[in-house]
Amino acid sequence: MDFKFELIIIITACLVAVSSSIIGCFLILRKMAMVGDAISHSVLPGIVIAFMLGGKLGSWYLLVGAAVFGIITTFLIEFFNKKGGMQHDATIGVVFTSLFAFGIILVTVYARDVDIDQDCVLYGELDHVAFEEGITMFGQIIPYTIVRLSVMLLCIITMVVMGYRGLFLTTFDPAYAATIGISVMAWHYVLMASVSLSTVLSFGSVGAILVVAFLITPPATAYLLTDKLKQMIFLSVGFGITGSVIGYYFATAIDGATSAAIASVLGMQFILVFVGKMVEKKYFNKVAVTGE
Amino acid sequence: MKNLRNSILLGVLAFLFSCGENGKQHSSKIYIVTTTGMIADAVKNIADTLLEVEALMGPGVDPHLYKAKQSDTKKLLEADVVFYNGVHLEGKMAESLESLAKTKAVYAVADGIPESKLISTSQFSGTHDPHIWFDVNLWMDVAKYISHQLQKKYPEHQEHFKKNTEEYLKKLEEFNVWVTEEIKKVPDSVRILVTAHDAFGYFGRAYGMKVEGLQGISTVSEPGLKDITALVEHISQLKVKSIFMESSVSARFINAVVEGCKEKGHDLKLGGTLYSDAMGAAGTEDGTYLGMIRHNVNTIVGGLK
Repeated sequence: MDFKFELIIIITACLVAVSSSIIGCFLILRKMAMVGDAISHSVLPGIVIAFMLGGKLGSWYLLVGAAVFGIITTFLIEFFNKKGGMQHDATIGVVFTSLFAFGIILVTVYARDVDIDQDCVLYGELDHVAFEEGITMFGQIIPYTIVRLSVMLLCIITMVVMGYRGLFLTTFDPAYAATIGISVMAWHYVLMASVSLSTVLSFGSVGAILVVAFLITPPATAYLLTDKLKQMIFLSVGFGITGSVIGYYFATAIDGATSAAIASVLGMQFILVFVGKMVEKKYFNKVAVTGE
Repeated sequence: MKNLRNSILLGVLAFLFSCGENGKQHSSKIYIVTTTGMIADAVKNIADTLLEVEALMGPGVDPHLYKAKQSDTKKLLEADVVFYNGVHLEGKMAESLESLAKTKAVYAVADGIPESKLISTSQFSGTHDPHIWFDVNLWMDVAKYISHQLQKKYPEHQEHFKKNTEEYLKKLEEFNVWVTEEIKKVPDSVRILVTAHDAFGYFGRAYGMKVEGLQGISTVSEPGLKDITALVEHISQLKVKSIFMESSVSARFINAVVEGCKEKGHDLKLGGTLYSDAMGAAGTEDGTYLGMIRHNVNTIVGGLK
């Protein structure tokens, strides 16, 4: 029993870790790292509206409502960025605070007496994946969450592998990409749609803080070590996986919540690498490899 | 450099791997896990020492904000039977418990209460006030339900459970009479219970008290300025003597109301702390269901009379 629990939780965490770390690399390079955090707040109106239409807590259409508002968020961010010529960080801030506030108004006006917010209806708990039913494969019961996340990961890997050239060029040199006929807008929306769908789906399985941590911290750690995109992707996937495994046992050792333990291990990895780089710079007198 | 880096990482990894301890072994007794302490108390009364009972949410834990530890999840997986409150007290966790129910004996004790007796909380169908333990009468339904499920699951102990349940129900019934009479000692005009959040709806309905809460059902949203001002106005007008704190909710807003009343020239006292969503410390009188309610009743009557 115990062994199986371990395996289920670590696999689930790793699936989210890998998909989020891959996407996170592109977000960081586009200076849009906080988009995941923005989505984690701006889905609230989607949840409340879905609840008002459906009238029941804890059903799948709350997830659909959240996903729709996730996509609306990314589109609004891009719209204001392109049309208004504003910075990404500013548009992200404007869009998610407004949508979140709109959601809170909906809660206070229409659903005051219901325990509704994304914390209790959308965000999942990593540990509870072990309770789930699943399909039997290879003589094992595989929880539905793991199946869902695996499909999601496959889609993301396929998108990145097939679209690598487009994503690469539109990230680093949008002007050049445009001159050779690659649609910068189209690639941006493909990336953003996959960000919102995958984050909302992951929120439901492992909770928000962990997804946001996976989206940002491993890619940021990898960014300290390399300036090549492919290396950065592989490194951040590596950090995501090791962080999940170490974090699980860290949670066991201190008996805390697994998702929070993983997120803090990711942070520690970043600090370790950062300090390592500082030491390297000072004692080996090397110039930092990366830089903006 | 890269190699050094990798070996450090590997070292840390190996160290942390070795820290992982295995799940604790339980005795051979049937193992029951409950979410709240109140439910654990009911199960203990029905099963006495025959079963091992454990509650996940200890004294002072707010179930609305409860965060599962890794060991809690392992306990739920190891449990033979799980009882939880239901009617959305456990939030998102209830959904996980529902999926666990497909492979394990998992019961929401609120299912033992007919829906007509539950307090409906909004214009949306199917949402109810989860604080069912504050009406001793409803708690008797809960005890019956727990007993029924245990008898069904362990027919070999049926007689044992039956006997204990009868005794427990008798105790609860006498207790219910006591609560009703105590509350009647408070004059009708000031029989108003003002607390931090809406936990006492069932208590008020069962024992004829008007209940005013600062917060809504969920303890996540904070009361607005308007709520506080309206409450201050209301309390000063009716000359309510005391207002009460809760064991699992922050005292900040209650203090704001007391301050507000002072400004209006009404001396509002703090009537003491009530147990709302969790019982007192284990091993003490207040650490049992009866003790918890008794403490509340004594505090309320003492503060308002």
